Amino acid sequence: MNVNHRYDRILRWYPANWRQRYGQGLAALLEDTYGEDQLPLRVRVSLARAGTVERAREVGVVGESANSAERLRAGSLLVLCGWTLFVVAGTAFAKFTEHWDVATPSAHRTLPAIADASAQAAGILSAIAVLVAALMTVPAVLRLLRSRGWASIRRPMLRGTLSIGVSVALFAGLVLWAHQLNLHQRNGGLALYGLAAIVTGFVVLAAMVIVTTTVITVTRKLDISRRVLSLLSSLALVMTLLMGVIAAGIGLWWASEAIYAPQFLANSIGSGIIGTSNALPPALIVAGVLMVLGLTGACTGSVRVLGGFKRARPGGHEVPGF
Amino acid sequence: MTKRTAESSNELGRQSEPSFLILTSLASGDKHGYALAKDVEAFSGVTLGPGTLYGAISRLEERGLIAPVPSDDRRQPYQITASGRTALASAVRDMRALADEGSRRLRLSVLTLRHALRPDFTELAQ
Repeated sequence: MNVNHRYDRILRWYPANWRQRYGQGLAALLEDTYGEDQLPLRVRVSLARAGTVERAREVGVVGESANSAERLRAGSLLVLCGWTLFVVAGTAFAKFTEHWDVATPSAHRTLPAIADASAQAAGILSAIAVLVAALMTVPAVLRLLRSRGWASIRRPMLRGTLSIGVSVALFAGLVLWAHQLNLHQRNGGLALYGLAAIVTGFVVLAAMVIVTTTVITVTRKLDISRRVLSLLSSLALVMTLLMGVIAAGIGLWWASEAIYAPQFLANSIGSGIIGTSNALPPALIVAGVLMVLGLTGACTGSVRVLGGFKRARPGGHEVPGF
Repeated sequence: MTKRTAESSNELGRQSEPSFLILTSLASGDKHGYALAKDVEAFSGVTLGPGTLYGAISRLEERGLIAPVPSDDRRQPYQITASGRTALASAVRDMRALADEGSRRLRLSVLTLRHALRPDFTELAQ
C-alpha cells in the first residue's frame, strides 16, 4: 500500500497545515517502525491526542507560540463554546424543573427561589453579553464581506443558516402540536409527541454545535482591531463569571430541593433508573455534567484570555517561549 | 552557584523531555524521524512515540532550534541549528550545575560515588 495514503486516516487528527509540513515524515516514521503491521491501539490513541493538541495549538488555545491577540481570540472563543454547552444544559434544567415551586413547601421556597432567580438573571445577562459581542463584530464582518471574503465563509454560513432553519421549523411544529394536546399528553401521555420532542431536542443541539462552529470559523477570519478584541475578551471574562453564578445558583437550588422537596426530584424525568437516587435524577445529572464541562471550557478560555492580556502589557513577554 | 535563568529553564525542560533528547541526538549528526527515535532510545532508554516525537520536532523547528535538511527521500532528516546548539549547551550547563549541587549536598565525591555503586557492579559481575 502507498505510504502516502496508508496513514491518511489517522493523520486526519492533525490540522491540514501541519499535515502538509510534517505528514509525509510522520507517515515514513510509522512505516519504518511498524512496517506492514497494524498500528497498536496505544499508538493510535497517542496520535489522536497529539493531533488534537496540534489543532488546539493552531487556533491558539494552547501552547506558547501564539501571540497575545491569538490568545485573546482563542480564549474568548473557548468561553463561547463553554457558554453553548451552558445554554443546552440550562434549557434542559429549565424544562425538567418546571413548576418546582408548586411541589416545594412554602416555608422552604425562599432559598431555592433566590438560587433560581440568580441563575435566571445571570443567564439573561450572559445572553445579553453574547448579543453585545456579536454586534461588536458586525463592522469586521462587513469588512470581510466587502473584501470578497464571502467565498471563504459561504459554506459554513449556509450550513449554519440551514441548521437554524430546520431547528426553528421543527420547534415551531412541536409548539403548534403541543397547543392541541392536554397536559397529560404533553407530559409523557403521548409517546409520539415525546419522541418528536426528543428528536427536536437533538436537532436543536446539533444546530447549536453547527452554529458555534460557524461562529468560530467566521470569527477566526475577521480582522478585529486590538481595542475591539480587548473588549470582546473582557466580555468573555464577564461571561465566565456569570456562568459561575448560574452553576452556583443551580447547585444551590438542587441541594435545597433535595432537602426540602425530594419528591419533586423523585418525579423528575428519568428518575427510578437503577443506580440513581431520588436526589440525583439522570436527566439533571446529564445537564449537570454538560454544565461542568461548559464551565471548565470557559475557565480554561478565561485563563488563556488573562494570559493574552498579561502578554500584551508593556514589558509583557510577547516573544514566544519554548 | 550561577542563578538558573527563566529563559534557560524554559528552553529545553528536564533531561527526560523530548526536546532535550532530540537536540542531544541531533548534536552528533543529522537524522530522520526513525533514526532519531532509535538513537534516543539507545542513549537514554526513553521511547518516544511517533506523536510525541513529531510534536517536539515541529516545536523545535518553530523555535529555530532545528531545521529540515533538503532531501529527496520521503524520510525528512533534521539538523541542529546554531541556536539549537546554544540552547542545548545552556541546558547541559544547568543540569551539570544542578548535579554538582546535588553531589555537594550529599557530600559525594567521585570515590564515594564509585563506592556506592560498587555493589551494583558486583551484582552485575555475578
